[in-house]
Amino acid sequence: MEEMKKFPNVFEEKKGRNIFYFIRTNDKKSFFEERVISKKGELFREVDPERSKLFASIAKGISQLGIKQDSKVLYLGASHGYTVSFLADVVCNGEIYALDFAPRVVRDLVFLCEDKKNVAPILDDANHPENYKDVVPKVDVVFMDIAQREQTKIFLKNCDMYLKEGGFGILALKARSIDVTRNPKDIFRITRSQLDVVMNVVDYRELAPFEQDHAVFVCKRKSSEPIDFLNIPSIVVDQKKNFLPRKEFSKPSFRKRH
Amino acid sequence: MSNFSILKERLMQETKVKISEAVGEDLMIVQAMNTIDELNKVLNSLSKRLREWHAYTLPELNHDVEDNEAYCRLISTKSYDELKDEFGKNTMGGKLSDEDIEIQIDIAKNITETFKMKDKLVLYVETLMKRIAPNISILAGSSIGARLIVNAGSIKRLAMMPASTIQMLGAEKALFRHLKTGARPPKHGFIINHPYVAAAGNSKGKVARILADKLSQCAKIDFFKGDIVADKMRKELDEKFKKE
Repeated sequence: MEEMKKFPNVFEEKKGRNIFYFIRTNDKKSFFEERVISKKGELFREVDPERSKLFASIAKGISQLGIKQDSKVLYLGASHGYTVSFLADVVCNGEIYALDFAPRVVRDLVFLCEDKKNVAPILDDANHPENYKDVVPKVDVVFMDIAQREQTKIFLKNCDMYLKEGGFGILALKARSIDVTRNPKDIFRITRSQLDVVMNVVDYRELAPFEQDHAVFVCKRKSSEPIDFLNIPSIVVDQKKNFLPRKEFSKPSFRKRH
Repeated sequence: MSNFSILKERLMQETKVKISEAVGEDLMIVQAMNTIDELNKVLNSLSKRLREWHAYTLPELNHDVEDNEAYCRLISTKSYDELKDEFGKNTMGGKLSDEDIEIQIDIAKNITETFKMKDKLVLYVETLMKRIAPNISILAGSSIGARLIVNAGSIKRLAMMPASTIQMLGAEKALFRHLKTGARPPKHGFIINHPYVAAAGNSKGKVARILADKLSQCAKIDFFKGDIVADKMRKELDEKFKKE
């Protein structure tokens, strides 16, 4: 088992064809029935990239995430807290503000927060970042994983309010919730051009074998000036095209897969 | 204590309060309806199993009685000899010991109890619907209305929906097939079961559209606790659809 150079507290272990990912932890408890092993007096929890888009992007070989051991993280779309529980171990000296909109899933998240000291739950709508401005400070990393039609805009709104200059914004994009009828590749390309206007897109990975039609974008904030939303090109949906049989779906693509 | 732990404590309390406030009466409808669906599944498979089992000794009863509830009630209330006299005097069924038949009767009793439980739940949903969504339950009937609320998630979300979405609720598969491939769009979802739409013949799409329109008005009135207007709507619709 070796620690990955770019990501603190993340370990990988190769066994034949399979690669397993482990997070160093100091708590013996297994929150989601995952494997907890001890080696040389240290404890490790196994993370499943198929359940977490953040660690799927690491498994796909993303070059950097900008997450350090003492980072402050604003996590939008925390859900039951699977990724949050591992991220809490990664940023062992940092803080996580975990936000979700649905009361049912935040109920599970609250139980997690009772065990993890550096996670605070927020029940609020990410679409209205001004609602929680008196509790969330400026952060180093904004991570967003919500399946919404306007998720790019919501992401930029939150980055605008909470991200420090030079901080990293990580966006897990679900192409199918933006437009089911379009080719996911097109949506990724357009989203990238949208993000590029106001931030530097450092790296981007499609999560193909782990998660279909999803991608993770890592961007760095250029300056602390407020983002001008008028400059951002929009994803225009051609209404007329929608009602015609679409040929592009039956066409096989000859582009190389990587 | 550091700044963060003070902040966290405050956030924990706030979230707990918010979660407890989020429990509404429409969630009860959602859970009750889901329970009814699951009971239906269980009842179906259990009564099929009992039929297979009991038919070894009295296949004529299985053949004559088609309703599952009646079948289970017969087995649980009447003795084996009585049933034999009634349904199969010269039966082709084999002989089973008393022990075998006793366990079958026990299962039949359990199933009839579960049927009663289901009826109770249906009544419960009806009373809930009358209290929470009086207009919808007058216009659509409590079972279709409850189905709409379940599919929307809560009465708030149903109230925020446009009429065209309410018309399509329950026909998601056909709708997305239409969006993706350009196939013909669906005309109705759950409201196909409504007597107006079912009786409409060729103009089902038109009737479904008008009904969904009225239903969306009802949902909005119910969510904001307005007066009861569905009686009037129902009369209007009755007259409108009689002419056609």
